[in-house]
Amino acid sequence: MMGFDLAAVLGLFGLTSAFAAIALVLAAWMCWRIADKAGLPGWAGAAAILLTLTGIGSVVSLILLWVFAFMRWPRDGVARLAAVGVPAAAPPGAPAGAVPPSPAALAPPAKALADRRGWTLAGGGVTLAFDDGRAAYTLTGEGSGAPGELVVPDPSVGRPHARLLTAAGRIGLEDLGTPGGTFIDGARLLPSHGPRDITAVRAIKLGNVELALSRT
Amino acid sequence: MMTVIGWLIGLSMFALMALLVVHVLFALLLIVPSWRIFERAGYSGLYALFHLVPVIGPFIVMAILAFGDWPNGEGKPVPRS
Repeated sequence: MMGFDLAAVLGLFGLTSAFAAIALVLAAWMCWRIADKAGLPGWAGAAAILLTLTGIGSVVSLILLWVFAFMRWPRDGVARLAAVGVPAAAPPGAPAGAVPPSPAALAPPAKALADRRGWTLAGGGVTLAFDDGRAAYTLTGEGSGAPGELVVPDPSVGRPHARLLTAAGRIGLEDLGTPGGTFIDGARLLPSHGPRDITAVRAIKLGNVELALSRT
Repeated sequence: MMTVIGWLIGLSMFALMALLVVHVLFALLLIVPSWRIFERAGYSGLYALFHLVPVIGPFIVMAILAFGDWPNGEGKPVPRS
């Protein structure tokens, strides 16, 4: 009578609902990952999207998007590294290839517990043990006899490749700009990022060499 | 008859333009924060213009941020010690 079949219309609505449900789950999953990458708990990102299921509607999600864009992310290492005593990344205007100077000494955090354990980097056929007896170590593909060198003999590892910075109970990593690249849990670390706190990180990668980080 | 058709075409064009303006205004609400998120992640803010793509635009934006390697580095939740 109306020119279309009621059942067909209802079927279309059912299809639309199925697409909407899939889209919602997909969006929640992607927002989980985005929040995780920013250093926030992943569930917070997913919850922001799932709020659209409530009566509040998508207005809250929109507001949370604005908040997320302009808030300080835990990933932004400045606050974390300041707490550790590692200097912040080089300013954006710094010349390309410029490496921030090595700190003379890293101040311990104000309320650090005494932790005399060291760290071990293992992988690629080598096991490197070090502690916070030195303020900085150099990760290199070939040893030159200089003190504080940690040698990872692999052609993909630069000479030197990266710098490890230690402070009481904490450890930082800084890429020195070699072509092989430095990765923290799979994410690329660039020289412009400066030192990053890797105390809670499980694995780093220098060129093609994957190294597992653990306490000893 | 021609007058009625003319009116219908005019009305349709008006409705289409109104829809376009509303779409762009709503997209702007998403583009501004997304632009900043892309820049903080290390990408070009221009990626935020994908929000102008109807329906799937926000999904493209989310997919780029969720599955791409952020050039400025990625973080993990800070462990409480």
